[in-house]
Amino acid sequence: MQKIFTFALLLFSSLSVFAQQPVATTSEDSLSRNLSKTSTTIGGYGNAFYQRNSNLGTSRADLERGVLFFGHKFNNQISFFSELEIEDAKVAGGQNGGEVSFEQAYLKFNLNANQYIVAGLFIPRIGILNENHLPNTFNGNERNYVETFIIPATWRELGVSLYGSLSSVPVNYTLGIMNGLSSAAFTHGTGLIDGRFEGRNASANNLAVTASLQYYAGDFKTQISGYYGGTVGVSKRKADSLGLNSGTFAAPVALGEADIQYAHNGFSAKALGTIVSIKDAQSINHAYASNTPETEYGAYAEVGYDLLYALIHHRHPQQLILFVRDEKLDMNSKIPSNGIYDGTLDQNYVVTGFTYLPIRNVALKADVRIVHTGAQNPNLIINPNPATIPYQQNNNLVNLGMAFSF
Amino acid sequence: MIAGAGIAMGSLASCATVPVYQTAISNQQVIVPVSLFEKGNIQIIQPKNLYYNIALKKENDGSYTALLLRCTHADNQLITTGNGYKCNLHGSAFDQEGLVTIGPAEKPLRKYLTEINNGQIIIHLS
Repeated sequence: MQKIFTFALLLFSSLSVFAQQPVATTSEDSLSRNLSKTSTTIGGYGNAFYQRNSNLGTSRADLERGVLFFGHKFNNQISFFSELEIEDAKVAGGQNGGEVSFEQAYLKFNLNANQYIVAGLFIPRIGILNENHLPNTFNGNERNYVETFIIPATWRELGVSLYGSLSSVPVNYTLGIMNGLSSAAFTHGTGLIDGRFEGRNASANNLAVTASLQYYAGDFKTQISGYYGGTVGVSKRKADSLGLNSGTFAAPVALGEADIQYAHNGFSAKALGTIVSIKDAQSINHAYASNTPETEYGAYAEVGYDLLYALIHHRHPQQLILFVRDEKLDMNSKIPSNGIYDGTLDQNYVVTGFTYLPIRNVALKADVRIVHTGAQNPNLIINPNPATIPYQQNNNLVNLGMAFSF
Repeated sequence: MIAGAGIAMGSLASCATVPVYQTAISNQQVIVPVSLFEKGNIQIIQPKNLYYNIALKKENDGSYTALLLRCTHADNQLITTGNGYKCNLHGSAFDQEGLVTIGPAEKPLRKYLTEINNGQIIIHLS
């Protein structure tokens, strides 16, 4: 296994040498010879960080993500895109942690210059981070928690989606269909995360639809997006025995999101709000005892300023961004009558720090995450470990790290 | 010459609109009437069957710059934003001069040679 890992590391290193250099092979087609070559592109991203947990008095360091892009353009109409991810640097048999997965793997069919269809494992346009998750493009070493626990980015499933832009107005839209979530896998305290299939043996009895609308105006960008999908993938017979409805959109999850971004002269701001509704949470809890909530929500706002903008010509790639972000989320803001409220899932974070980009595709980050949560519910502590320290509602996490993409 | 063979679209008065001109490619050339620039200095050109738009900009000196709206990172189509162009695939962004403002793209957008002839702008694709 160690040899395999070493080989993967060498491969990863060597591939970066060829980053973003399309390998032209053959040419075909008619209209414009220089546009119709087949080509293979390689890229990637990754990030690593050190984290100090004040309450626990512990520190850790992790190569959180290493991702390779592979893309191939068969002709002007058809392309393939993929992202292959290794989380936590290493996956070893018999040990917890680490993950190897396709983050995306789909075919793209161009209909014209403004519309295309993707088919395969794709990331729907929901929120900001889901679609644009390169770590050198967001502030803070960790991804924001609203788009981790409420919108479970990066959220990819198998399906088909249309992407388009209007010709004369800067409006973009998507409309997609994909496999739904699995309510059988919902886990208390992790939102929708564990219900995702991410392309692995997904149940397709239940489906989901997703759509988004984006509008650009000057230095502003606004977006709304939504998701609606069934969560019961088992047979009707099994669903009946579990007391669940069955069918394509049974026990649905509905998610809505809106966000706005602004950037001008070194100043940037963004805000996002999202809400999740699981109206059959009571039935899901009855079937799986997962303490699934009926409603979750989250919102954040962030402002940043590039301290070098005024000092260096603004086209210079160096940036030193001072930022602050306030995040609020509650993964059980409303629970069914058979649920148990968990105050620790009502969370507030203030994150502040610096992002230094010596060049656009490399970021060095330093930030502190100030954590505050609600109180722990003793009814959820079944067999308390006598060595466990009492739950603390306030904590600080200090993060130092690096990120890159190419 | 085939001046006027294209179709101008979307000349709405709103400041957020982007005028679009649809036309064909002939002999590796796209021909655009100069008159399209009477009301603005940027025009999106949609050559038939090209699968990428071209942003044609009138410069202060009267020349024209033609940018291929194809991301230089992974060849995805770019969308027009309020102040430049963006790739939704990995998030790269370019300003109206075609320079990278957000990665992962590292190279500027491809520029095509242009010339003015008899009231027409000729974009050379080769």
